[in-house]
Amino acid sequence: MSMTPKERVLAAMRKEELDRPPVAVFTQSATIGQMDATGVAWPEAHSDAKMMAKLGAAQATVFGFEAVRSSFCLTAEAERLGCMVDPGKKDRTPMLKKHPFHFDPMMGEYDEPSIMDPEEFLKGGRPATVIEATRLMAEEYGNEYAVIAGNTGPFTLAGHLVSTENLVFGIMMAPEEVVKWIDAVNPVVKAYSQALADAGADVIQMSEPSSSTDLLSPDMFTEYSGNYVKESLAKVDGAYSVLHICGDTGPILPLMADTGVTGCSVEEKVDSAEAVKINNGRIALVGNVGVVHPLLQGTPEDCAAAARRIADAGFNVISPGCGLSALIADENLKALVKAIKG
Amino acid sequence: MGAEIDALIDIVVKGKIKEAAAATNACLDAGIDAKTIIFDGLSAAMAIVGDKYAAKQYFLPQVLLSANTLYQGLNICLPLLGGDGSASKGTAVLAVVEGDVHDIGKNIVKAMITGLGVNTIDLGKDIPIKDIIAAAEENNADIIATSTLMTPTLAGMKQVEADLKEKGLKGKVKHMIGGGATSKEFADQIGADGWSYDAVEASHVAAGFLGL
Repeated sequence: MSMTPKERVLAAMRKEELDRPPVAVFTQSATIGQMDATGVAWPEAHSDAKMMAKLGAAQATVFGFEAVRSSFCLTAEAERLGCMVDPGKKDRTPMLKKHPFHFDPMMGEYDEPSIMDPEEFLKGGRPATVIEATRLMAEEYGNEYAVIAGNTGPFTLAGHLVSTENLVFGIMMAPEEVVKWIDAVNPVVKAYSQALADAGADVIQMSEPSSSTDLLSPDMFTEYSGNYVKESLAKVDGAYSVLHICGDTGPILPLMADTGVTGCSVEEKVDSAEAVKINNGRIALVGNVGVVHPLLQGTPEDCAAAARRIADAGFNVISPGCGLSALIADENLKALVKAIKG
Repeated sequence: MGAEIDALIDIVVKGKIKEAAAATNACLDAGIDAKTIIFDGLSAAMAIVGDKYAAKQYFLPQVLLSANTLYQGLNICLPLLGGDGSASKGTAVLAVVEGDVHDIGKNIVKAMITGLGVNTIDLGKDIPIKDIIAAAEENNADIIATSTLMTPTLAGMKQVEADLKEKGLKGKVKHMIGGGATSKEFADQIGADGWSYDAVEASHVAAGFLGL
């Protein structure tokens, strides 16, 4: 079957029968090896569109994965909305240092949401950089490779603004205050998702780690995350939508599909065969090679074996289960690609 | 044990946070001493919470609520112990290692270990390794518990091991690790004394170190 990498990834999004699944990093893709190969590194690449596009393409240009992707972190939106961010280092993603809003369920003290207008949000800061990087990637690599744009989910972003722990605790103490904040951020999330699609992204991959079963009970998922994802991600026009959630997603996979997204990206904490069984062909499954084991700490043989096992289980796209650690060895990523592409 | 203690246990397990202080005072009024309230009431309650979490009846939101309910009772009982630590079953220093700010898991570990009756010294998040070691020395800690969700910061945990060896504290202070980026294999590889998948397991590991 002769198809470009892009055609293969998009066919997989449609769950078409293929001679083999595509292999592509749908989550954070950059590593030290790619930075050294392209001459573009963190932290500079987080805030320069050309650098971001070059490094974001490196999964394809250096290792032969079948997609390109920006950005590399989940702090761009939070920073634009007022969070203080440490830009990180070559081997370390940026991290949030301070939440701009007060939200204290113990004391019963809650700031009213005050969120930038979505139009204004798109015009500046690192969201504008990511939109421009997506445009550059679509222009330069978009004929050959699927262009993926990553962003942050609504419950996760609300947590970034008020502290995730307080937001989760708030569900037990004052759920109406929690809802106010997710209501307030979702228009920004929706506008950003659509802007990335308009810039040429084939797939919007939204990471919503804070609605993982490690943080929310499964019966809270739809009310505090799923219903918002349905509105902001699943309704994106002109691009496929993939929802990424960490942890053991087994109990919430059907709810993730209920949002109406094209696909789900899941971690290795849900068994691959089990995930395929639960999903029962409803949406495209993306994953779920472990980032720490085997990619960071295992051998190339371990990585190849995991990739083959996941392909045999019936995943539509073979991908790491979460954002790559920058420290993952080139050999392990090459082995992952080779195990699928031959 | 008395009806007052049973009522307090029920309040912590169900997270009836506004009733916790009154229930703790009711125990004291009934003549139950603070130490008994902590060990037979609050600790017992957190053990039940842990069991419910392990059985997936409780998730983080319910555990957070119980933990904050626990602290309402502890805030009343701890000052009554005299503050020399003699009533505690050991001392643990907790920290998220430098370079990482994800601290929800560590906070739950703190609640579970406090629930064991252990004196916990919580240094917070993004903490330099030398500060962790210094706090352990200063407080004569039995346990150092470090956590990270991220991979670049795993090196900090290895550094804890190196520093403990250099200061001759290895073996004397037990080092347990946890967090999304860690694993049993990694703990073995760096020579850490313990690893746990989640906060409930962490409390079992700590209890094992202290012979509880």
